[in-house]
Amino acid sequence: MASETSEAVSSTPDLKLQFAPFSSALEAGFWHQLTQKKLNDYRLDESPKCIKGYYYNGDPLGLPTRLTLEFSAFEVDGPTPARCCPATGTLYNTNTLDAFKTTDKKALLEKEAKEIWDAIHSEAALKDPSILCKFILLTFADLKKYHFYYWFCFPALCFPEGIKLVQQPSALEQVFSAKQIAALQEAYDGMCIKRETTAVPYFLMKYTDDTVQMVPLEDWDMFFTDTKKVTVGVYDPCTLSQHPGWPLRNLLVLLAYRWGSKLDTVEVLCFRDRTLQGSRSIQHSVIFQIKLPALPLNSACPKSVGWEKNPKGAMGPRMVNLSECMDPKRLAESSVDLNLKLMRWRLVPSLDLDKVVSTKCLLLGAGTLGCNVARTLMGWGVRRITFVDNAKISFSNPVRQPLYEFEDCLGGGKSKALAAVERLTKIFPGVNAEGYNMSIPMPGHPVNFSEATLSQAQRDIEQLEKLISEHDVVFLLMDTRESRWLPTVIAASKRKLVVNAALGFDTFVVMRHGLKTPAVSPSVPAGADSSTSCSSASSSSSTPAGSVPAVQGSSLFSNIPGHKLGCYFCNDVVAPGDSTRDRTLDQQCTVSRPGLAMIAGALAVEMMVSILQHSEGGYAVASSSDDRMNEPPTSLGLVPHQIRGFLSRFDNVLPASLAFDKCTACSPIVLDHYEREGFNFLSNVFNSSHSFLEDLTGLTLLHQETQAAEIWDMSDDESI
Amino acid sequence: MMHEMSMCGLDEKNFYCCCQLLLQQSEQLRDGWSWEAVQGSEEGYLKKTALRSVVIDSSSVWDHEGCGSDSEPHTSCHSQPDQPDEEEEQAAAVASGDTDSIKGDIDDEDEDDGVCAVSEGSSQMLQYEYHILLSCSYSTPVLYFRAFTLEGRSLSLEEVWSSVHPNFRLRLQNSPLNTITLQEHPLLGQPFFMLHPCRTEEFMRPVLQAAQDQHRPVNYVLSWLSVVGPVVGLDVPLQYSTQLHPAPPPSSGKPD
Repeated sequence: MASETSEAVSSTPDLKLQFAPFSSALEAGFWHQLTQKKLNDYRLDESPKCIKGYYYNGDPLGLPTRLTLEFSAFEVDGPTPARCCPATGTLYNTNTLDAFKTTDKKALLEKEAKEIWDAIHSEAALKDPSILCKFILLTFADLKKYHFYYWFCFPALCFPEGIKLVQQPSALEQVFSAKQIAALQEAYDGMCIKRETTAVPYFLMKYTDDTVQMVPLEDWDMFFTDTKKVTVGVYDPCTLSQHPGWPLRNLLVLLAYRWGSKLDTVEVLCFRDRTLQGSRSIQHSVIFQIKLPALPLNSACPKSVGWEKNPKGAMGPRMVNLSECMDPKRLAESSVDLNLKLMRWRLVPSLDLDKVVSTKCLLLGAGTLGCNVARTLMGWGVRRITFVDNAKISFSNPVRQPLYEFEDCLGGGKSKALAAVERLTKIFPGVNAEGYNMSIPMPGHPVNFSEATLSQAQRDIEQLEKLISEHDVVFLLMDTRESRWLPTVIAASKRKLVVNAALGFDTFVVMRHGLKTPAVSPSVPAGADSSTSCSSASSSSSTPAGSVPAVQGSSLFSNIPGHKLGCYFCNDVVAPGDSTRDRTLDQQCTVSRPGLAMIAGALAVEMMVSILQHSEGGYAVASSSDDRMNEPPTSLGLVPHQIRGFLSRFDNVLPASLAFDKCTACSPIVLDHYEREGFNFLSNVFNSSHSFLEDLTGLTLLHQETQAAEIWDMSDDESI
Repeated sequence: MMHEMSMCGLDEKNFYCCCQLLLQQSEQLRDGWSWEAVQGSEEGYLKKTALRSVVIDSSSVWDHEGCGSDSEPHTSCHSQPDQPDEEEEQAAAVASGDTDSIKGDIDDEDEDDGVCAVSEGSSQMLQYEYHILLSCSYSTPVLYFRAFTLEGRSLSLEEVWSSVHPNFRLRLQNSPLNTITLQEHPLLGQPFFMLHPCRTEEFMRPVLQAAQDQHRPVNYVLSWLSVVGPVVGLDVPLQYSTQLHPAPPPSSGKPD
């Protein structure tokens, strides 16, 4: 690149004029608009289209000479930005990459050059000199990948021998006095006003010591009566001090063709007009003294050049990959994430979103609760969501289960687990959802009718164990109590966080199961390394759960660490201080007030998120209703053990309760049997009457909660 | 008219008035703002574009003093803002493959000697597009913008953050002033970045209050722009307030 100050003033006889080529500059909106045009208007039409760009002569030093196309490029009659000159172009948008490659670029250039040449021949170019500044744009839009291939051409007619400079170019301020410069600026502005425009691409000029006159190109014959000295002005987008921009190039051909025989040299003012910090200057415009080469009359169209080089400096097309900003799927993903980040920036600066987004969630049950849990997880940006359900969608489902539609019920109904995945993917393609249409074996539901049923149960258990191992959080969202037993046992054994939601008619419980401390014995089965953070579980275990300070209130238990908390089977009916009224939950009643599942499903997810935000995760001490006024343990607030809601009163309470050492699901003896005997133990549970578990744990009743409640209440007291 | 503006916010009419005033001044200062009307409605927005050469290194992208006369903007640049994932590189390879297969029919052996050698590296040039819209829900102006390469590829949020000057970046992340987020342009439907307006009213209130106390006219949009613009590289020349204000009362002139 030439430096600003020219030290070598000696006018070498062989000084050649060289032009700064246009660099194509595309605004993001251009590609959006081209995409729209291709999809809605052009479709498979490959015929050339008229488009429009513009160039500007007010750039600060050092910027490339650009021809800019923005989204309005397709409105040829639309306005041009103020103080810019328009350039008309021809768009060739091919349907295939192959057509893009094989298009005869030379022919395209020659065709366009011929049109310029013809306009020079006829007087068209004199009347409308913008014809001299045309361009071609060859494109291929790969709208599957959002890759855009393009190649610009700025056709320029060439003099075979090049163009000679009579002397070194000089800045306007070296040639013109301050007075002349002021007069020049005034004359240009006057011409613009007269022509009702803000930029004139080409003009003619005469000047004296204190006056400057300007007229349009077409007034040549009237303006220049004496051709000894002719000054031509060109609106010049180049910022280099030694070179003019591209628009001068075809003008010189026009001059040589029309007046070359009369003119020996021509003075060219490359008019540059910039404003920095509110102060305008044109004194950096450049003046060239040019010896016009001869063009033989009636000669054929001269050789033409103009295809743009690619960034490597070679003759070739360019490609831009816009999938990031145009692929709707990518956009949806980044919008979802950004929306969540906004929460962090503005409201909860310490929110650890990655922990939430990366959590792998297993949803056991894809009914009213499962659908609502899934939607709330999506809202939190959770990507990995897996459904397990064995039901088909029935006609009563869609109104309450927001992932299904009427169509899904037809023909016997689709599998819920699979339909839920399908819908999740439709809602947000970035989700990584899977569905398993399978049953979960249950206590009291024998599996030993035949070899086949037995091995099916074994396979189901293996599958469930595998799924629980592969996920971080297990949601229990089934509609029966028994079906929660097996996943409770497996998850407790594998030290996975369990979030359980269950509905009554107008009551619900949302709870996290106590997360057992990591097994120390080396004989525990694999999967004990839970992926939830189990950092300092032991430290908190030193705080005795029973050391209840003088906290008044209904809760008997405060400060229970996560590993001592009960599971669904420990304390389903133990609601300290409120036990008599909290009992409707367990009635296996699938009729509930319609809003309940949404409330409980949402709370289940929000509880999970709060647990994840706690430094100890599932081992976090349970917050209770009494903590509502205290400093919350996480940026999002409390981390309760249970949320029990009473829709009739529009009220929630936050009870916490201890694990029960005779629990039918999470007591050490049950886990021990499961871990040692595996399927044998489990099939015994399924096939036997419920006395099996009761005998094992020392309980005698599994399903009759009224009596059990009393026993559990006592036991809890004893364990303190 | 401007000083009668209600303290609490900017309605459509006042927004339009402020914009028209700003446009007039921009016209005098040739600052490049224009009014873009949305077809078939009275809505519209102020628009300005700017091109800047930037210095890109792995940790930051910020303005090289583009206007400084003897800067050599291209020397310390890496080829691309940090994004060459594999796919992109492959695609680039495809494109260069195309280059080879396509150039056959163009005579570049007899090189055009009318072209000067330009050491132009388009990837170091960034185009910025700024839009000022009215947020009806916040009753404040909102600055939308996007930045893209000369190829028209928009910068990602990460790239945009890194193009915020380090000094500002720190301040932005700690200050409640404003935050850059990706939003769909409400009038164009294309993804734009915006400086979130949730705190605009908060920091504008003292400005408006001071103006009101001193019976000094204030252009809400202009004052606001002078605060938020520089954050994303948008300069608001001082001349807007020094040269063009209808002579302020001498007592209120505060040297800053």
